[in-house]
Amino acid sequence: MDTAFKGEHLVPGHLGQFFIILAFGAALLSTISYYFAATDSNKLDKSWLWLGRIGFWLNTVSVVGIGSCLFYIIYNHLFEYHYAWAHSSRTLPVYYIISSYWEGQEGSFWLWGFWQAVLGNLLIWKAKSWERPVMTVISLSQVLLSSMLLGVEIFGTRIGSSPFILLREAIEGPIFSRPDYMGFIKDGNGLNPLLQNYWMVIHPPTLFLGFASMIVPFAYAVAGLWQKRYKEWVQPAISYALFAVMVLGTGIIMGSFWAYESLNFGGFWAWDPVENASVIPWLTLIGAVHVMIVYKNTGHAYFTALFLTLISFVLVLYASYLTRSGILGETSVHAFTDLGMTWHLIIDVLIFLIIVVVLIAVRWKELPISKKEEETYSREFWMFVGSVFLALSCLQLVFVTSIPVWNALFGTHIAPPNDKVTLYNIFQSAFAVIIALFMGFTQFLKYKKTETTRFFITAIVYLVFAALIGALIVYVTGIYKLHFVYVLLMIAAIYSVLSNAKVLADAIKGKFKLAGSAVAHIGFGLLLIGALISAGTSKVVSQNTSGEQYSAEFAKANDPRENIMLYKNQPVKMSGYEVTYIGDSIALPNHYFKVDYKKLDANGKVKEEFILKPNSQANRKMGLVSSPDTKHFLFHDLYTHVSMAPIKYDDELRGQEAGHEGEADDDKNYDPPVAHEIAVGDTIRFREGYMVLKGLNKDAHVQDIKLGGNDIAVGADLEITSHGKSYMAEPIYMVKGGNGFDFARKVDDVGLKLRFSKIIPEKSKVEVTVYQQPESKKPYIVMRAIEFPYINFFWSGTIIMVIGFLMSIFRRNKELKTV
Amino acid sequence: MKKSSIFGLVVIAIAIAVIISTYKSASTYGSFNDARQSAATLQVVGHLNKEKALYYDAKKDANYFSFFMKDNKGQECKVVFTGTKPQDFERSEQVVLTGKMVGSEFHASKILMKCPSKYTQDKLETTEFTAKQASI
Repeated sequence: MDTAFKGEHLVPGHLGQFFIILAFGAALLSTISYYFAATDSNKLDKSWLWLGRIGFWLNTVSVVGIGSCLFYIIYNHLFEYHYAWAHSSRTLPVYYIISSYWEGQEGSFWLWGFWQAVLGNLLIWKAKSWERPVMTVISLSQVLLSSMLLGVEIFGTRIGSSPFILLREAIEGPIFSRPDYMGFIKDGNGLNPLLQNYWMVIHPPTLFLGFASMIVPFAYAVAGLWQKRYKEWVQPAISYALFAVMVLGTGIIMGSFWAYESLNFGGFWAWDPVENASVIPWLTLIGAVHVMIVYKNTGHAYFTALFLTLISFVLVLYASYLTRSGILGETSVHAFTDLGMTWHLIIDVLIFLIIVVVLIAVRWKELPISKKEEETYSREFWMFVGSVFLALSCLQLVFVTSIPVWNALFGTHIAPPNDKVTLYNIFQSAFAVIIALFMGFTQFLKYKKTETTRFFITAIVYLVFAALIGALIVYVTGIYKLHFVYVLLMIAAIYSVLSNAKVLADAIKGKFKLAGSAVAHIGFGLLLIGALISAGTSKVVSQNTSGEQYSAEFAKANDPRENIMLYKNQPVKMSGYEVTYIGDSIALPNHYFKVDYKKLDANGKVKEEFILKPNSQANRKMGLVSSPDTKHFLFHDLYTHVSMAPIKYDDELRGQEAGHEGEADDDKNYDPPVAHEIAVGDTIRFREGYMVLKGLNKDAHVQDIKLGGNDIAVGADLEITSHGKSYMAEPIYMVKGGNGFDFARKVDDVGLKLRFSKIIPEKSKVEVTVYQQPESKKPYIVMRAIEFPYINFFWSGTIIMVIGFLMSIFRRNKELKTV
Repeated sequence: MKKSSIFGLVVIAIAIAVIISTYKSASTYGSFNDARQSAATLQVVGHLNKEKALYYDAKKDANYFSFFMKDNKGQECKVVFTGTKPQDFERSEQVVLTGKMVGSEFHASKILMKCPSKYTQDKLETTEFTAKQASI
C-alpha cells in the first residue's frame, strides 16, 4: 500500500485540497453568521455581521488559493494530477492553459465560485442595510458551490469532485503499482482542439459571470420576503438583474460566435440542450426586469415580478443539473459526463426551490398584490402580458429540453423530436412574433392611461410602414418561401425596430433616460431580423451535382447533397463560384487547406477572388477535428468547412519534419507508365493537360555527381500546362562511365512523374516516360460551403442590445442614488 | 369576467397547447422491426456491427456512407446516411439513428454516436452528425 512514488509533486495538491476544505468551512461559517446577523433583533450588535464578513473573506481567499494551486499544476505540467493530465499537454501554448483550466467541470465550478465571491465582496461593500439577508443567501450558494469541489468521502459516498485528485487515484491501471510510474507519463491528453480558440479563453468567464450574477436579484427578492421589506427590494434588484442579463447575454452570444467560427454546426444556433439551458434563465430574467419596472412605476404585477426573479435562479441551477449530470447523454452533442454528482446537483436545485416555495407560501397573505385591474390601454398591462409570454416561450424550451428528465422520472421512453430545430424555430418564432409586436406598440402607450384614438393612429401607421418594409425584405430575401410564421416575425421585428427608433429620436431630443431601453429593443429587433434572414435563407452552395448515383430512390429521399469533393488543382463550379483546392500549408498541429474562390464575369474574367483556409487537425486521440473558415462580406458570409480529407496524423507530420522520407520506389503510386517518342517542339497529352518539349539542355547538372570527360548529362525542358497553370520540369538523362542513368522529376501539383528515359540519336528524338497519378492517389478534400446572408444584422443587433442594457444600468443606478 | 382571469385562461390554454404539441412531435425509440412496420421516422438505438465493412468512398460519392448496425434487440440492418463518414465511427460504442426504413435499408438523417475515448477510459465523448442542414 505505502509505495513511495517517485517524481510526484504532492505539495500543490495538498495545499489546494486544504483551500477547498477551508473554502467550504468558511462559507458555512459565513452563512450561519449572516443568518444570525439578519435575524438578530438588536441591529447595533455587529458581532455576527463581522463574523459573517470574515467568513466570506476567508472563503474568497481560499477560492483564489484553489485557483492558484490549480494554475501552478497545469502551468508546470504536473501530470501526476488527473486534471492536468486530462485537460492539458506540454505542447499547449500558454494562453490556452487558461482554456484548459475550465474544460473540466471542476474548473468551471471554480470559475462560478470565483465570480460569486467577487460579487459577494461587492455587495458587502455596497448593499448597506441589505447586506445581512442578501449575503446569507449568497454564502449559502457559496457553500453549495464549494461542496461540489470537495471530493471527500462521507459515509461511503463521495461528495463533489476535486480537481486535485491524482492520476493514479482517478484511473486504475497496473502501471500505477510501480513506484516510478511517473517516468512513463510523458505528456497529458491535451486540450480538445475545438477549444483551442481565443473565444474559448473569454467565453466561459463571461458566461459564468452571467450565471453567478443571477443570484443577486434572487437574493434581494428572498431578502425582501424574509425581512418583510416587500416593496423595497425591487429597486436595487433591477440594476443587478440588468447587469446579469447583459453579461449572460454577451456570454451566450460569444458562445454562439465561437460555434459559428470554429464548429461544424453550420450556423450560430443549433438548439442544443446545452444552449437552451443557458438561454432559458436569460429569457425569464428579462421578463422579470420588465415586470419589476412595471411594479416600480405602477404597483401592478408584483407577484409576476417576484416569481420570475426567483425562478430565474432556480432555472440556472436546473440548467447546471441538466448539463452536468450526464442526463442529456442521448440527446446532446456536448461531451458532459456524469461525475457521480447527479444527486448533489439535484439537492442543490431542490434547496433553492424549497426556499422559494416556502417563503412565498408563508408570506402569501402579506404580499402587496394590487387588487385593482390594470387599464387595457396602459403600458404596464402590455409589458406584463409580454413578460408572461416570454416566460411561456421558456416553458416550451424547458419542456422539450427536459424530455430525458421526464423519461427518468416517469420511466417513459419518449425520444426527443426528430426534427427539433424546425420545431423550436417555429414555436419560438411564434412567441417572438407576439413579443416583438408588444415591444413595438407598447412604446406608444403610457403608464396608467393612454388616450385611445391617438394610440391607435400611431400604432397602426407604424404597423403599416413595418408591413411595407417587411414585405419588401421578405420578397427580396426569399423568406416568403418558408413557413408563414417567419413572414409575420419579420414584420413584427421591423415594427419593434421602427417604434423604438421613434422613442430613441424623442429621447435624443429630451427624455434621454428612455434611451437605454429603446437601444436595447432596437438591438433585439435587429438580432431577430438578422437571425431570421441568415438562418432562414442560408444556402448550401456546395451542392453536389456530380457523383455516382447509388439508386434513384436514394437520391430522391436525400435531396440536399451538401458535401462536394475537390481534387487538388481541379476547379469545380459551384453556385457562381469556381472553386479550387490549390494546396496546403501546415502549421502544426493545424493542417490548412487553401481553397481558392473565383467569381467570373460573362467574359470569363476574374471579378473577385479570395482564398479561404479551413483547417483540420488529425489528432490521434480525438480523430479528425475540423474548423471552418469564413469570408466575411458586409452583407453575407461564406462559410467553408472540410468534412473529410485524407491527411496524416499530426504526430506523423512532426516525425516527418525531423527526418526526410526516403525516396523509395514509388512507382506503385502511379498508373502504368507510358513512353512517348518526341522531338523538340512536340506535345504530349495527358489526362489533365499537356506538355511541350521546349528544348534539350546539354549542360544539365545533377547534384553531387561529377561528370568525367566522356560523360554527358542532358535535360529535357518540359513545359506542362494543366488547368490553366504552367509548370516547368527537367528530367535528366545521363551517360556516365558508359552506362545510362536517368533522374526523374515530379510535379506534385499535377500528380506527374516524368522520366527522360532514352535518347534516340538516329531519329533525333528522345523518349519521355510519363507516370500519372491515378485519381485515387491524388490529394482531395470533401467540403461543405454555406452562404449566410445578412448575418451582420445578427451580430450588430447583439452589440447594440448590450449597449442598451449598459445605458439602462446607468439610468437605474442614478435613480438608486436619488431615492 | 375580469381581464386578468381571461388572460389567465389564455395562458393556461397556450401552456396546454405547448405541452400537447410537444408530446405529439416527440419521437419514439424503436427497433428496426418497428421501423419496418411503420413508415414514420423514428430513432433506433444500437451498436455498429464491426465485423461487416463500412462503406464510404469520397471519390464515388462524398455524400454516401453505409454500414451495418445491430439494434438493441439484436436485429441487424443496413444503414445509409447522406453525408460524410463521421470521424472515428469505427470506435463508436453506441449509435442513435434518426430516420426511416426505405425498402430494406434504413435511411438515417441523423447519427449520434458515443465513443469511448482511447486514452481516457473514464470519459465518454458524444458527437452528433446531421445530414440535412439546420434550416428554418
